[in-house]
This record gives sequence, C-alpha cells and structure tokens, in this order.
Amino acid sequence: MRSMEETRWSPAATNCFHLFWILLLAASTFLVIPGGLARAEGVEIPNPGADLWREVRQRDATPVPVPAPTTGIDLWREVRQRNAAAIPAGTTQVSGTDSAELINALGDQWRRFRMEQLVPYGGYVLGGMVLFVALFYFIRGRVPIHAGVSNKVLFRYSVYERMIHWFIASIFLFQAITGIFLLFGRDFLIPVIGHGAFSLLASASKEGHNLFGPLFLLALALIFVRFVRRNIYEKGDLTWLLRGGGVIGKKHVPSNFFNMGEKSMFWLLVFAGGTLVVSGLILIFPNFGQGRALMGLSHAAHGITAIVMTAVIIGHIYIGSIGMEGALEGMKTGYCDLNWAREHHDWWAQRCENEDKILSRDQVGRAGVHSPEPAAGQVVEESGK
Amino acid sequence: MARMKFYCDAERCIECNGCVTACKNVNEVPWGVNRRRVVTIRDGEPGERSLSVACMHCSDAPCAAVCPVDCFYTTDDGLVLHDKDICIGCGYCFYACPFGAPQFPADGAFATRGKMDKCTFCAGGPLEDNSAEEFRKYGANRLAEGKLPLCAEMCATKALLAGDADIVADIYRKRIINRGASVLNRGVSYQNATLRSPSGLSGRATSKE
Repeated sequence: MRSMEETRWSPAATNCFHLFWILLLAASTFLVIPGGLARAEGVEIPNPGADLWREVRQRDATPVPVPAPTTGIDLWREVRQRNAAAIPAGTTQVSGTDSAELINALGDQWRRFRMEQLVPYGGYVLGGMVLFVALFYFIRGRVPIHAGVSNKVLFRYSVYERMIHWFIASIFLFQAITGIFLLFGRDFLIPVIGHGAFSLLASASKEGHNLFGPLFLLALALIFVRFVRRNIYEKGDLTWLLRGGGVIGKKHVPSNFFNMGEKSMFWLLVFAGGTLVVSGLILIFPNFGQGRALMGLSHAAHGITAIVMTAVIIGHIYIGSIGMEGALEGMKTGYCDLNWAREHHDWWAQRCENEDKILSRDQVGRAGVHSPEPAAGQVVEESGK
Repeated sequence: MARMKFYCDAERCIECNGCVTACKNVNEVPWGVNRRRVVTIRDGEPGERSLSVACMHCSDAPCAAVCPVDCFYTTDDGLVLHDKDICIGCGYCFYACPFGAPQFPADGAFATRGKMDKCTFCAGGPLEDNSAEEFRKYGANRLAEGKLPLCAEMCATKALLAGDADIVADIYRKRIINRGASVLNRGVSYQNATLRSPSGLSGRATSKE
C-alpha cells in the first residue's frame, strides 16, 4: 500500500495541475478573443431603421438622419409614378404583358393625352375644318371654269389610276368614319342612341377598322408607285404657294400635271399615311407582346396623324367635288375639260396641245359616260409623263 | 354606405401567391387571365418587398375615363365594375390603368382581345346576383352573400386586407402604431418590429391620442 501512497498525487498537486490547465485555457482565450472581437466588429450589419430610431431616442437628431435611399418610403416613391425611369424592376409568377411592372407610370399621361387633348382638340380641328370649308363655299362660292365648259377634253387618269384612287379613298373614308365613332362616339352618340346600340356600332367599327387598316398599306404603296414621279416638286411650285394657289387675287397660277397643293397632299399622304400604317400595325398586333408604353405612344401618333390627315382630306374632298367645277370629271371619267386644264394646269395643257392630244367630247363619247362601246381614239397610255 | 377597399401590407406579404390561386379558383377565370398577381420589388436584394395587386377600385378610375363605350360603373360600395355586354375589347383601359388590372382572354392578330376581365372585388357584375350567367361572365358574387373577396380571406399573413375602407384603414393604422412602438421601445429595426408586439408599453394603440 505504501507504493500506492507514493505514486498517488497529493490533493495539492492535483489542484495545481488543474489550475495550470485552467490558466492555460484562459490565457489562450484571452489571446483569441480580441482578434475575434475585431473581426466581429468588421462585419457590418445594415440596420438603417434601428439607427434612425436610436438617434431619435437620444434626442441628438442633428443632423437629421436620412434613411438609406432605396428602402422604406423612398422605395415606394420610386415605385409610384413620380419618376418612371427610377422604378425598380419587379418580378412576378404571373406571365403576361407588363405583369412584372407594379405601377404603369405612362398610363395617366396617356389618359390625359386622350381625354384632355386628343378628343377636345381633335374635335375642334375636324369641326373647324368643316366650318371653314362651308364658310369658304358660301363666301367664295364654287370655282367655275371661267371660259366655260368646252367641247374638247384631255385624257387625265387611266382606269388603273382611277381605281387605285377610289380604292385608297374608300379605305380612308371607312377608317376615318369608324375612327371618329370610336373617338367621339361616347360624347355624341351614346346620349342619342344609348349604350347598347353604340356598343354594337363601336364593336363593328373597331373590328372593321382593325381588319381594313392593313389594306391601307397596300393602297398607299400602289398610289406611291404610280404617282410619285408626277409629284416631285419643281420650278414654279414656290410661286404657286406664295400666291396661295390662285385664291389670293384673281389670276391663275400656272402649274404642271399636279400643282403644288396636290403635290403637298401627296407627300402628306405618304408620310402621314406611313405613320398611320406603322402605328396602326403596332396597335392591332398585340400577339407580339409589345408593352403598354409602346402601344400608348403608337396610339398618340395614330390619333394626331389621323386628325391632321382627315382635316386635309376634308379639304381635298371639297375642292375635288363641289368646290371646283370640272375637278371631279377627271377622276370620274378619266377625261378633263380642256378649259379646266388650261385654267388650273396650263403647262400640262399646253404640252398636250403641242403634242396634239386634244380630243373632242364626241370622240370619247361624252367622256365615256354615255357611250357603251369604247370610243374611237380613246388612249389608255399614261398622261402627263 | 361602406366603401370597399383593398390594402396590401408590404411588411407582411411573403409572396406565397395564395391570393392569386384563391382568385383563380373562386372566379374560375379563363386560362391566361390573372385578376390578381403578386409583384416583388428588388427580388433577392436587401429591402425586397412583395405586393399583391389587382384592381384597386379607384375613386376616379382612369379605365372608366378612357373607355370609348362607357362600360364602367361605380357601385354604391365604391367598386368599379364593368358590363361585358357593352365592352368591345379595345384595350384602352389596359393602357390607362396604373395597376395593370384589366386583362384580356386573347391577344390575337387584328387586336381580337375578347371582352376585358378584371377583379370585381368578388362582387359579380350588372347581371342578377349569383345567377349562372353572372358567374360565367364575371365570376363569384361573394359580396351578395355577405362575404369578402376570397383573396383577402385566404391571406395567410393577413397582409392583404379587403373590406370597408374605414375598418381596413383602422387595422393598418394599428399595425403602424404597433411597429413604431416596438421600434421606439426596443430599439429594433422597423423591419424586425413587424412581427413583434411591444413590451413595457401600456394602453391601447388606437387612432385616438
């Protein structure tokens, strides 16, 4: 037992041993902790809200703490329509056009454009044009053929040219009328015919407008190809413009096959018509997934252009029908009166006379109207080229 | 008369899309039409927030202003509803709506969109209440049965509130006061305060001071 006593650690020694280990552990801990604390302090935990309120509580709110720019109320300010460009992109599980967009910033602009500008000012422009034409008619009256209707005619428009003219004219009229129903019908037709009947009319107008619209592109292309050469501006057009096409003063202003006004009508038709076609195609093919912003913009372009074009066409229809004696004849029968040509397109008339292209009314059988069989000497070649 | 309103609490919405599913189910809306959707802003970034969006039944609704056939009407409950027998499917309401609420069953060529469809606040349409025809065109009419919209009823976190505007506003106001009190009392962030109740405060959180 003695040997056991000797080999056994005394309690004091055991305590010393334990103490040694505890001290070692403590020392190592004190060595490690400061480094760990330093590292922990290096990790920044953003908590702007807490910082804000902490400063508020300590009543040392100078300077006024500003929350992080894209959280809290500022986030919602951006999401709202104050600044369309700053709206953060959203995500959504719903698949649909513009579904991930929380607020449609342009929607209200589009509403204000349509309801506060397009409808009222468009109405004023169209109504004003009708009024202007009516006043012009009652004040100036019909522009007569001063030399009287003659017995001689000139070949002016071929069958093909007349056909494409009436083709684009009928499409334009249909589009204009259906468009006017859709734009002004709520204000003017619903009080008269009621919601149900107008809904039927508007539905038919909308479907017709959308289905026949693309045909306008075809008609416009045919018109452009056929008439572009005769519509290039030339010397003398400026004089025509400066003298208001003969409205100012009594003297007639010389011009070629088309005068400056007709040429301008043509180019307006090409550019405005092109705008109408492009914007219209964007609007009637939602199946390509274009967003509201593009469609709203297209609608604005379509509306403005259509109003301008319709106003000009009202003038065109007036001058081509009741506004001027002999003007409709060319587009109706293909032949125009020689005196009319001399008074409105005298350079062209002069050239036709030089080339001996004057026909008598008997030759074309009252310009092809009363004669069932093709008249002798009826030329089908293009005129004025 | 009560004025019905939706309110979605961005501090509570967890983007579970339960409201979307409930809406589609109760109204049996056509495929491709979503009367309600959840939009997440800053997805995956700090400060991410989600909101459930549908028709907000505006007091001065842009859709009703631009409609060329005037098919919208506002009910006594302040709901903006529309008549599908009048609607021509032109899509103008979709351009004008700030929330993207109007939906169309089709997006075919030549703008054949079909009749517009949107959230009715589970209040059906102009037809006879809870008739088969009304359900087919407009979906459920829970309001006529004395129930609130199913999307809000189903919301797990009660983020989406629907009902009388005064009551909805009161609930939301209490939440805001609660959060503010938690922040002031415990010094935690606004975000963390959302789901905690304030401790050490006495009295009630009401609109009265």
